[in-house]
Amino acid sequence: MSLTHRALLYDDRDGFLAATSAFLRQGVEEGRAAVAVVREPNLAALREELASYGDAIEFYDSAEFYRHPVRTLKSYLELVERKAPLPVHAVAEPVWDGHDARQRVEWVRYESLINVVFANCDASSLCPYDRSALPADVVDQVRLTHPLLTDGAEHRDSEAYTDPVSFGAICDRGRRFERPDDAEYLAIESDDLQPLRLFVASRANAHGLTPAAAQNLVTAANEVAANALAHGVPPMGAWVWTAGDDLNCEIGDHGHWRPGPLTGFVPPRSALDTGFGLWTVRLLVDLVEMRGGWGGTFVRLRVRR
Amino acid sequence: METFWSVRRPVGRIRPGDHAWLGYCGVEEHDHVVGAFVREGLLARDKVIYLCADAHPEIPGVVGRPPASLLTVLETGHDGPGPALAALAAEVAAAERAGFAAIRVTADLTCAARDPEAARDLLDCEAAVERLVRPSTAISAICRADRRRVPPETMARLRAAHAVHAAPDPDFEDAVLQIVRTFDPRGLALSGELDASRHTVLDQALALVLAGGDHGPVHLDLAELRFIDLGALNMLAEVAARRAGRGPLILDRMPSQLHEVITTVGWNMLPGLQVGCAATPDPLPRP
Repeated sequence: MSLTHRALLYDDRDGFLAATSAFLRQGVEEGRAAVAVVREPNLAALREELASYGDAIEFYDSAEFYRHPVRTLKSYLELVERKAPLPVHAVAEPVWDGHDARQRVEWVRYESLINVVFANCDASSLCPYDRSALPADVVDQVRLTHPLLTDGAEHRDSEAYTDPVSFGAICDRGRRFERPDDAEYLAIESDDLQPLRLFVASRANAHGLTPAAAQNLVTAANEVAANALAHGVPPMGAWVWTAGDDLNCEIGDHGHWRPGPLTGFVPPRSALDTGFGLWTVRLLVDLVEMRGGWGGTFVRLRVRR
Repeated sequence: METFWSVRRPVGRIRPGDHAWLGYCGVEEHDHVVGAFVREGLLARDKVIYLCADAHPEIPGVVGRPPASLLTVLETGHDGPGPALAALAAEVAAAERAGFAAIRVTADLTCAARDPEAARDLLDCEAAVERLVRPSTAISAICRADRRRVPPETMARLRAAHAVHAAPDPDFEDAVLQIVRTFDPRGLALSGELDASRHTVLDQALALVLAGGDHGPVHLDLAELRFIDLGALNMLAEVAARRAGRGPLILDRMPSQLHEVITTVGWNMLPGLQVGCAATPDPLPRP
């Protein structure tokens, strides 16, 4: 039982429809749970093409499904759980417009993470990429994140496929960690994290985050700080600063924990498993960046208003 | 003497001059609240006068055998509340003569309140107790009845006759978090903020609830909780897992922002935890 994760490199609407509808028909015929998560206007065209299948195929708009890479992983996990024992057979088309360069890295990483998160899952995913319209760097990385490729006519293995740990390390290589000199700082000096929560909440409110987003950020910052208290080395503290619409909150200590490229990206089965905290932190905010080195361990949380 | 306002007061904060009411819903709540009132009195060497229908009751909060000079038990009898009131007044007078600075009275009215005729006299007697206690700088009183056994209209009148309503003392209280037992439904009410530095106290409070009755659901009233950390969710999921098959942990009245956090986490991550009754509007920030 293992995942089949294949990218479809297509050039036009007809190529898209021919390959995806054949894939979904095959899913239905084999008794699998056929699902299409596709961008408009391809979504409407595919629905029409497969109208005769009625409810046998579920359709979702990618614009709704792909808003936050880790939450999208969670949505697919829930889909797999909901459809069990039927294996999921999905056309899964990410969204590539409207992202800045940093967000795009996370969406490319997301495609790679699929290979580890669903490794032991009897699911099939066909991920359409529009070769004629998508940026060259997005198309180039498809062969690194998908073990299998097709152009609709010919299936082949991707020779450039890179395992998710190595690929995550590549994604992390380009990160930059400047912190402005005027970032506000709060030292974390006791086990009681209420001062930290007040510090983060007041900056979140001042930045105009919704109450729910502010509470999520406070919960994430509290979790990271609790980890630092439990496993880190003092002195420790939190910095908060804004950059345009982004609010950044970074928690650091002087310990030598070195998070790996997959830290917090592999979902636990429940709150009882290890890894629940950091996985949840990744769900609660828009972006989490962790780094460890001689200077200490730092976890940066970012939320856009 | 009906009062249209009342204050809910933890039993530990009931003071001389307080004529308080407790409508309990079973032995567990009765013993928890009344036991604290009696225990504190005996520890402080106050006079404790305990009235009930039983001639030889098991008195909650009593450790060992306290001297008769400290603890007096009065049987309320079956002749209506009048004679019991007379006996109480005599005991109070004797305690005052004996020089007690503080006198604690607690009377169980369940039997009298169940009888429609006695219930009328009971309200007159309550007026007399009110006249005895309210101006006093020594006497505090808790009148009590099992609310499952008394007609609702009688309960409402008795309740209205008391300006103070006795509540359980918090199991834990600091500037950030308060944990109070609830009995109907069984569980805990949490207010304030729950984080890693306070997991142990929640664990202990939950253990006490679970020790009291191993079956059926346990409710956590979160209406006044402004923050819960992921570690606490993990801890609650662990408690629920240990109780598998013996009733879930039910999270009642969760504020919308906590609900949002848990929705983001995913309820499927928290087996054994359930959403209970609906959320209320967000609690007001503390002054």
